[in-house]
Amino acid sequence: MRKLKQIYNIFYAKFFLFDDRLVLMTAGAVVGVFAGLAAVTLRLSLAAVLEFFQPYRQYAWAFILPGIGALISFLFLDKVMREGAGHGVPEVIYAVSRRGGLLRLRSTFSRLISSFFTIASGGSAGPEAPVVMSGSAIGSNIAKFLGLNDRQRMTLVGCGTAGAIASIFHAPVAGLIFSVEIILGEWKFVNIIPITIAAVAGAQISEAIIPKKELFQHHTFSIFTGDILGSIGLALFTALISVIFTRMLRTVGALAKRTPVSPWLRAMIGGCTVGTMGIFMPMVLGEGYHPIIEMVDGTFHMAFWLIFIGIFLKIFATAITLGWGGSGGIFAPCLLIGSLTGVVFYKAMMFVFPNAAVASEGTYALLGMAGIMSGVMQAPLSSIFLIAEITGGYEAILLLLLVSSISSTLSHIIEPSSFYFKDLIERGEFMRPGTDARILSDLSLNEIINTNYTTVSENMIFRDFINKIRNSDRDHYPVIADKTGDYLGMVRVSNIRKYALDPAFYDMIFLNQIMDTDMVTASFDDDLHDVLEFMETFNIDHIPVVDHHRFSGMISKARILDLYRRELIMQTNIQ
Amino acid sequence: MKFIIQQAAAIKKMEILISELCKSLGVSRTTIERWIRQGKLPVSKKGSTYGFHARDLKNWAAKNHISLNLEPRPVQGPETEEEISLSTALETGGVYHQIDTGPDVPSVISACVERIKAVPDDCRTDLVRQLVKREEALSTGIGGGIAIPHPRTPLEYLDQPMIAACFLKNPVNYHALDNQPVSTLFFILFPELKFHLYLLSSLSFCLRNRQFSEFLKTCPEQSELIEKIDALHLAQKM
Amino acid sequence: MNYKLLHIFRNTPFGRETFLQSLHFCKTINAYPVVYIPKTDKFLMYFSNDVVQVNLDSSFLAFPETAHEHVIALFDEAGIPPRFYEPKNFTASTLPDISSQFDYMCSQRSVSDRSSQIGLGHLGPKVRRMIKQATFPILIASPVFKAWKSISVFFGGSSNAMNALVLGLKIAMASGFPLKIYTVLENNNEDVYRDMVRGSELEELVDQYVNEWCFYESSEFDRMLYEVPHDSLIVLGAYGHGLIKEILLGSKMEHIQSTVTNNLLVTGPNCRISLT
Repeated sequence: MRKLKQIYNIFYAKFFLFDDRLVLMTAGAVVGVFAGLAAVTLRLSLAAVLEFFQPYRQYAWAFILPGIGALISFLFLDKVMREGAGHGVPEVIYAVSRRGGLLRLRSTFSRLISSFFTIASGGSAGPEAPVVMSGSAIGSNIAKFLGLNDRQRMTLVGCGTAGAIASIFHAPVAGLIFSVEIILGEWKFVNIIPITIAAVAGAQISEAIIPKKELFQHHTFSIFTGDILGSIGLALFTALISVIFTRMLRTVGALAKRTPVSPWLRAMIGGCTVGTMGIFMPMVLGEGYHPIIEMVDGTFHMAFWLIFIGIFLKIFATAITLGWGGSGGIFAPCLLIGSLTGVVFYKAMMFVFPNAAVASEGTYALLGMAGIMSGVMQAPLSSIFLIAEITGGYEAILLLLLVSSISSTLSHIIEPSSFYFKDLIERGEFMRPGTDARILSDLSLNEIINTNYTTVSENMIFRDFINKIRNSDRDHYPVIADKTGDYLGMVRVSNIRKYALDPAFYDMIFLNQIMDTDMVTASFDDDLHDVLEFMETFNIDHIPVVDHHRFSGMISKARILDLYRRELIMQTNIQ
Repeated sequence: MKFIIQQAAAIKKMEILISELCKSLGVSRTTIERWIRQGKLPVSKKGSTYGFHARDLKNWAAKNHISLNLEPRPVQGPETEEEISLSTALETGGVYHQIDTGPDVPSVISACVERIKAVPDDCRTDLVRQLVKREEALSTGIGGGIAIPHPRTPLEYLDQPMIAACFLKNPVNYHALDNQPVSTLFFILFPELKFHLYLLSSLSFCLRNRQFSEFLKTCPEQSELIEKIDALHLAQKM
Repeated sequence: MNYKLLHIFRNTPFGRETFLQSLHFCKTINAYPVVYIPKTDKFLMYFSNDVVQVNLDSSFLAFPETAHEHVIALFDEAGIPPRFYEPKNFTASTLPDISSQFDYMCSQRSVSDRSSQIGLGHLGPKVRRMIKQATFPILIASPVFKAWKSISVFFGGSSNAMNALVLGLKIAMASGFPLKIYTVLENNNEDVYRDMVRGSELEELVDQYVNEWCFYESSEFDRMLYEVPHDSLIVLGAYGHGLIKEILLGSKMEHIQSTVTNNLLVTGPNCRISLT
């Protein structure tokens, strides 16, 4: 038994410690499979239920369906699962950047189920964000079970994301890139391999379960030179639409918070509003993959102005579904809005230049999707590969690149933070590895503080103090109240020079007469960022930390630099 | 099988304690624990304790350009500075009474140096020359009938620092600060500069004490003098 | 050192009792209570390898307008400067993160207002998980305020019991209250336990602070529980071996918490307690 344990220790030391690649790859594959399963389950059940509800949508009372769905979805999430608000992706990013990728076990299925209710009943939302949340929570909890450390856990969270996206779209590359670009935010060798494996595993799982019914059929697109001009125009248009979309999402969400009705009623109202829109334009309901497929195929027939209205209706429907209590993501709505935008633009272009030699309507639907996705998410790589992969439109890759880059740049200028990051940036929680904010948040005052200081009493006579500093190399002496032990002020040797050189003062004054009481202090509630700000504002190199009136130690700029540098090295230089 | 077990034993032996690691890296325990949690250190967690592997650590430090000193650091700081107490120095130097001298500074110094036992014979002339030169530059008579002659450069031929107290038979005009004649001389002789300042400051601490100055006028014996000095220093430390 | 105790305030008479308990504890060992008045019905606590979501019931959110002044009034009564905790980070907008950088935390036996769950014999699942993950000891307050005047350490001999002993000594040193050690012999004689302490650096402190060391046969566990003074703070280690016991926090702990009404100070398997 003991020998076994020793052998285990060696394996542990060899494979689990720093050379953990094997472990991460294996765990990554497992995570990918489970995340893939979660995605497939949601997709299949959505497909089944949407089909089941199809006949009922014709009735006049059908507008109530999404209302009930949103209500159930809200109640499930809030009362049964007691989950936090929001669609989940910022939560995953937050967990990765601040909490070492720790996610709760309940997150593995809570959003999956609640978004199922929302989308199946007709709410305008996508299943992708919930699946991403599930996948990453699966990764996090497997890491927790294996007792892995933060770095390894974050990689597995990335694996979960990649597996989920890869599975729901049959797009392993898009899964990999989405995971690295949006969730992890760092391209590192140690991350990429397990995540790739997870993405492949996720894609294979969905391939195995839903074999030939691919989401989008592959097409061949023929591209002409004139399309370059066309796609630049489209990019401008998509940038505009994506900014409107992002703004709308926020405004409607903020409006919901101000509406004085109880949250469950709010969810109901939101759902019914969407349902009412759905009666006039069924396209806005659900995740909307069908119209997208038609548009890419070029078999979508609708009047120009109807499509144009459709764009805005879909935007509004999505905003109201998500903002008023429904649950789901913006991925699929983005795709629909994008393809609508592309088609509208194509039709407009055809109207103005009827004889231009340009690609098909389907190509423009494709480009529109890429434009809107990169505009809203501001992650151009993810959207390029996602669109190219799900439609097989690699011939159009040049135009995809063009549209994506222009659209994301333009919307970035107008709306500097993307939909996923906006909340985090506003809360100051957006911390990519290797950035200043991340390092400062990692270093706690506890680690920097120097507690090796002798305190002196307020009633000490100056002569005794002079004798005290004679045998010490410190420059700062915190003065402590006799009775309570509270911090009163600071005596700095450099500040009392004029008294120290005049022996006449020695028996005349007490320390509380010469101490510096205005010195700015920090407390353990402050983070390092605040402390540095204090130092900058008051132009000081040392700052005492006073916690609950007690002196705890000093923080010096020299020490911060020392640790900051190490931390920077560690965060940017791991293999 | 056997090989594996031996290896396991070797691993165990190489473990480094977390507290030692704190010192080698110069960071706090909290930092080390955070690094372990975040997976930034090559470390194995065994139950509630951690084990570090010296070789892995060295690789890791080299890779990250972090200075890692697994051997205990040379301790520095004022605590370890060699200190010599005033009484020890006085014991080495000795106390001399009733010194008969000429009326001027060089003769006083040469007469006193003659008496100091701890100075090697062939160095006395050199020492006298140095001391006289110092007196010419600025008198060491600090007033109150006391002078503290000392050379400006360390004396290589001495093993340890010393203070010799010399009580003159007749007070001599020493060009002291207060123009009073000098009757007591403390010779500070040192092989290294760092002793000089230290001895000078502890001596002047004693001389500032009025009681002590009065006590010196009685030309005390060596043992009495040392006792008094120790008592004074003890009082200061309190 | 500034020791801090986290208290989640519940603005009900029952919550007041618990808070009085926290205040008494802090006053006795010279720590600071830090009060969090919940604004949402749930919060998260992140530990090194787990995240625990604590769901609060509506009684924690009741009467938010009076909660603050009630807390201040109770603080004033105890003569301790009031201190509040405001969460800085949010996992989601309705899901604040509560720092786990505290030295103690006070909790009821169950985070619930159903009276059936407040009584003895039921330790809420969240409290269990917090004990399991926390790096600090958790004060499980008695249902009604009870000013304890002595300390009883249950010393079973495992590493976690050692933790409990260290913690007991620490509290005895800070409070000046008498400390007794209670040990149930499990197929060992007394010397085995005494040797455990003798080997460590605690020996001197044990000699100095421990008034009495009581030993009981393993069949006398319940007699021991009765003989523990009713006004003493019980310090014990919760530990589990094996999967099933891990969920149960160790059968002893279960038995104790369902039998005695005393305040319990529990150190979990992840607690790290140092004397300094």
